[in-house]
Amino acid sequence: TSIKHNPGSDCTMMSNNELSVCWSFFGEYCTSVFFFLDKDIIYICPFNGAVKGKVLITNFRLYFKSSYNVSPTVMLDVPLGAISRVEKMGGASSRGENSYGLDITCKDMRNLRFALKQEGHSRRDIFELLFKYAFPLSHGLPLFAYVTQEKYAENGWKIFKPMEEFRRQGLPNNKWRITFINEKYDFCDTYPHVLAVPFESKDEDLRRVATFRSRGRIPVLSWIHRENQAVIVRCSQPLVGMSGKRNRDDERYLDVIREMNHTTKLTIFDARPNVNAVANKATGGGYEGDEYQNAELVFLDIQNIHVMRESLKKLKDIVYPNVEESHWLSSLESTHWLEHVKLVLSGAIQVADKVSSGNSVVVHCSDGWDRTAQLTSLAMLMLDSHYRTLRGFQVLIEKEWISFGHKFASRIGHGDKNHADQDRSPIFVQFIDCVWQMTKQFPTAFEFNESLLLEILNHLYSCRFGTFLYNCESARDLHDLRSKTVSLWSLVNSKSEIYLNPFYSPESGRVLYPVASMRHLELWVSYYIRWNPRIRHKQQSPVEQRYKELLALRDEYLKKLEQLQLTDSFTSPCLSHSPTPNSSSPTSTSSQQFTHLHTPF
Amino acid sequence: MEFSEHIKTANVENVVLRQPLHPPARGTLCVTGHHLLFSDREERGSPQLLLLLRNIDATEKSVENLSGYSKMSASSGTITIKCKDLRVFQLDIPGMEQCLNIAHSIETLSCLGHVSEMYPFFYRPVDVNLQEQWGLSSPEKLFGQTKEFHDRWRLSSVNRDYSVCPSYPPTVIVPKVLDDESLKKVAKFRQGGRFPVLCYFHRKNAMVIMRSGQPLTGANRRRCKEDELLLQAVLGDSNKGFIIDTRSSQQAQQARMTGGGFESKSSYSCWKRLHRHMEKGRALQESLIKLVEACRDESHNMDRWLSKLENSKWLSHIQTALSTAGLLAECVERDGHSVLVHGSEGTDCTLLISTLAQIIMDPHCRTLEGFLTLLEREWLQAGHPFQERCAHSAYSHAHLQHESPVFLLLLDCVHQLWHQFPLALGFSDSLLLRLANEAYASNYGTFLCNNDQERCTHEVKTRTHCLFKALLKPSERDHYLNPLYEPTELAIWPSVQPQSLQLWTEFFLRWEPQIQHIEEAKKEIKNMISHWGKLFESNPFLNLLF
Repeated sequence: TSIKHNPGSDCTMMSNNELSVCWSFFGEYCTSVFFFLDKDIIYICPFNGAVKGKVLITNFRLYFKSSYNVSPTVMLDVPLGAISRVEKMGGASSRGENSYGLDITCKDMRNLRFALKQEGHSRRDIFELLFKYAFPLSHGLPLFAYVTQEKYAENGWKIFKPMEEFRRQGLPNNKWRITFINEKYDFCDTYPHVLAVPFESKDEDLRRVATFRSRGRIPVLSWIHRENQAVIVRCSQPLVGMSGKRNRDDERYLDVIREMNHTTKLTIFDARPNVNAVANKATGGGYEGDEYQNAELVFLDIQNIHVMRESLKKLKDIVYPNVEESHWLSSLESTHWLEHVKLVLSGAIQVADKVSSGNSVVVHCSDGWDRTAQLTSLAMLMLDSHYRTLRGFQVLIEKEWISFGHKFASRIGHGDKNHADQDRSPIFVQFIDCVWQMTKQFPTAFEFNESLLLEILNHLYSCRFGTFLYNCESARDLHDLRSKTVSLWSLVNSKSEIYLNPFYSPESGRVLYPVASMRHLELWVSYYIRWNPRIRHKQQSPVEQRYKELLALRDEYLKKLEQLQLTDSFTSPCLSHSPTPNSSSPTSTSSQQFTHLHTPF
Repeated sequence: MEFSEHIKTANVENVVLRQPLHPPARGTLCVTGHHLLFSDREERGSPQLLLLLRNIDATEKSVENLSGYSKMSASSGTITIKCKDLRVFQLDIPGMEQCLNIAHSIETLSCLGHVSEMYPFFYRPVDVNLQEQWGLSSPEKLFGQTKEFHDRWRLSSVNRDYSVCPSYPPTVIVPKVLDDESLKKVAKFRQGGRFPVLCYFHRKNAMVIMRSGQPLTGANRRRCKEDELLLQAVLGDSNKGFIIDTRSSQQAQQARMTGGGFESKSSYSCWKRLHRHMEKGRALQESLIKLVEACRDESHNMDRWLSKLENSKWLSHIQTALSTAGLLAECVERDGHSVLVHGSEGTDCTLLISTLAQIIMDPHCRTLEGFLTLLEREWLQAGHPFQERCAHSAYSHAHLQHESPVFLLLLDCVHQLWHQFPLALGFSDSLLLRLANEAYASNYGTFLCNNDQERCTHEVKTRTHCLFKALLKPSERDHYLNPLYEPTELAIWPSVQPQSLQLWTEFFLRWEPQIQHIEEAKKEIKNMISHWGKLFESNPFLNLLF
């Protein structure tokens, strides 16, 4: 009833039957989905060969279902946001079966090929539709997140309140103050509007430091250790340049940070390889030299966004469509993906280690929004168990990635047709991979499970939620993101039970140091190779699922027990409720065991 | 005791022990006929190290003689001990002579060749006596339990004195139509006398798995009427069966030159041969050596780890084993045909894939008892030469003869299944780890000797204790059960893509300190689950609620 047809498009009318299929399929958020097209097509499935079926295209997704007589049934469900490139394959005169059609490259590790009949420009409509709605920004159209009107019980935009998070960390205190210098984003347009800085640094000092830091991204506090008051400070590179410029305010500012917890040395972690840092001098950047007294500089050797993009591309080549078989491990090694993961993790370990032993650290790369975000957020995940909870993890992403201006729009290319854009890079995917590695190594330390990580990565591309849109806070405010779109966390927190790890046992004080050795890192098969039906992977681990069932059963037991105790106390009070001090009646032992049992879950 | 002649120095004080996962400790070292003991002086409790000498794979000693400089006896030596369970530790021993004596004792006593001198003959736990029946099963028992057998199969004692086939048990299950005289003829036609015997009966469709040694057709294509008759009888009413040969067809052809061979199409018209090349023997041993070397690579960045892992080929041996077993199970379960499996001797890869196929198909083999019974039937009774295969492991400098980690490969394959189907197996992965240790060095007699006959000669079944029985004792059993076990009647088809196979880190990297916290976390999970499971058991009251 509320399905609207876009009058401008040459959409095909659908039969009521098919509509109801779609209706149930698109579930709760279909009110704003426009159905555009539905036609016969052949999907060239890399695993099952050419499959006849119907394709359905809406303003949100491409949906394919094989015909009734095809077995096994093949289904595709691709959010248009996940598409990076649509190309025509073959021409009206190409020979060979299924040589005429479309070739679709996705951002989520798969490619799709469709073949159509050669006559009558049969692919024109579908090509134009896909091109338009997969890349709405290139066509002056809004992203889907602005169109959809999903309703959730919880408003995910409220999960992260910067002041609340600072207060949780014990800030402001007598050493660190909160400044609103960036309230209107005119101090630094890629930073959040509230910042934590040393108490004694005045706003004028900050302005002078900003002149010496790339894009004004001055060193600000990300996290403070409650006991030893050591801090993680993040920033961009200093503008040293070829001539080796100095800035006394910047030097003084870093020394103030060091003095905040009375340690003799401040460690500056430069995420880049040494050579890259040197090379950056040519473009006006650089790194902190000897003039920074009381500071030591450590390079973490993490490669830049271009290297990471190429690495993941290589990985895709060996897992899709055909998985490399004969030399799998050496092929995997030659992608260097796991090696990059290892370097990011071991960098974060070094950061966490310094901080937990009482030394403040400064982390930066070039601009301080890619590698820096990876390092600070992973180190915080290791240090602070709050971030290992379902909601805490959302805060961590909102804070270190979204509010501090990781350029999601540029890195992912939401709604943009320029698939070869050199700004695109899977930095956030790599971060989630690192988190996954940690959850594998500490299966009881995280409140959330793998499904959450997969869900996050799905919606990193889908454009269904506003969470990962735009490059920074100022752009989000400008486009009224929070009032006009829904947060991914609304979805997550409204059905949180499916994202919970039943084995979670909170240990608040514990610092997690994962093993960042090649021997203990695994390829995240259930993400990178999830499209291949031949690889055994489970969306949810059977162990986890079975355990959840057991827990549900336990709860049922508890309920019955309670009921029974209630009725018991009415009918035969003397039988079960008069235990001698040393005896253990069945009721009392069991309830004791229950309470004891309750703690670890 | 006759061991004393090998022990010149039994006790040394002030020895420093450096072993993985522990800080170095100073204490007393003691060598006995079967053990190496170390305890530090402070603790009066159990020794910090109690190692079966049999567990030692290799020793290296380096002696530092300082007396030449100072005229004082400030000499000392270090013995590095590498164990079959892959642990490596060092002993710093004061006094050059003592060090050499100890090293000598260890070297001699750790590879005593005579079975009856081995520790299982001396191991006498207090709570069990030797009168208990040895082992879990026997062909008689299996036959008695399976009524379906009785119309077409029979129990034959043709091998009662081990004269027909030295590596078979005294009784075996064979087609009813063949009498013992014919079996003897068949035995002469099969390598090692290993005539085709039944090892698995698939209840769902009455199909069977048979195993044997290769037929001795030789260069002039010899035939054996009784052998052909036996295989025909296996088929019964069906007109097609499969022979899975664990050699490539080229290897099988070549085997004819040395008197072996394969079942030709013309003589066995109803049987279709499938060749799957499986490595064994030396190649497998070398693979293990390379893998362990890669796992011990201490170089800082380990950037070549994945290539080294690949070059060891261990995972590809696993892939071949699992996919050949999958093929076997497919023939039986999915296509409904009986299958005969053999390679050349039929004591290694043959057993490997018949075992795996049974785990894939038969839910009973996935229980703790069922799995141990399966191992007993398919490895011990079927004559896998444990003593030869497990004499040394990955570190040994000794000249390798018959060593080959086929059984370890089996355990690793089962571990892959365990990993892929964490709910379908009734036993825990710690059982696999335990078995991997026991096969190489054990208090129990189970893995001693090469076959039933030798065990009989050495009175293993009356003079040693049975490991499988011990594992099933209530005290041990709990540890080896999978708390999340959910029996399924369905076959569990493993994925054999290289992406689905994983290094068995619990075994190969077990002595790395970093693996410890992962192990701890796993233990924690297990405790959580079993804690909750026990609640049901300990509170019959609760069960009344449902």
